[in-house]
Amino acid sequence: MVERIEDLNLPNAVIARLIKEALPDGSNVSKEARAAIAKAASVFAIFITSSSTALAHKQNHRTITAKDILQTLNELDFESFVPSLTQDLEVYRKMVKDKKESKANNKKDASTGDATASSSSAVVAVDSEEAA
Amino acid sequence: MVDADNTQLNHKPSADTFLPLSRVRTIMKSSMDTGLITNEVLFLMTKCTELFVQHLAREAYMASCAKQSNDTLKYEHLSQLVNKRKNLEFLLQIVPEKIRVHEFQEMLRLNRSNASDDEDESCTESESDDE
Repeated sequence: MVERIEDLNLPNAVIARLIKEALPDGSNVSKEARAAIAKAASVFAIFITSSSTALAHKQNHRTITAKDILQTLNELDFESFVPSLTQDLEVYRKMVKDKKESKANNKKDASTGDATASSSSAVVAVDSEEAA
Repeated sequence: MVDADNTQLNHKPSADTFLPLSRVRTIMKSSMDTGLITNEVLFLMTKCTELFVQHLAREAYMASCAKQSNDTLKYEHLSQLVNKRKNLEFLLQIVPEKIRVHEFQEMLRLNRSNASDDEDESCTESESDDE
């Protein structure tokens, strides 16, 4: 749960970097504008989350899926985000799949006694991070 | 659509995120009745928020600064954009247009002569004390 309202703020440095990347070289952003964008981003995340949750509930699902989010973006007039996000999602899914496969391979290696301890423990570390 | 082109501009698909996933998770959880959040959904929402930050900055900059050959993005440019775009309506309370005290007083005066609702007025009045 949220204890302090600051817990809902996104890190300023990251926001500043994202903005800088989006604007042409040599452009500046006032402090006030940066703060407003950061706030807007938090509100955007809450807005999309609650809209997606509502959409999922309408379909009698208890948890939101990637599809719910993409559909919500379409409905809320952010359809321009969908192609990029779909691509990102593909890359992400592939990465997760590869990780699983390499973990399975490591297990096989371990049972034949070939596993390098370091690589298998690295995979375990990544997995526990995901589970958290 | 200019919008779509801008968002697509130099976008490389990637499984890396800049914003911290844990913070985005906290934000998502602060919304009521959010059930379990899968890693995939968390990733997507983080990416989506990053896109939004860039979209907002770029659009506001394009709409104001680029035209006036002014290179600083200011708060006013954001509030103007929020006022203009239908899909940014949800930010109207978050990024309100700033007004001068005398403009506000003028609004109050007009309100008083028009409105018959007493409760509304007392509300606005207490806000004016804060200014």
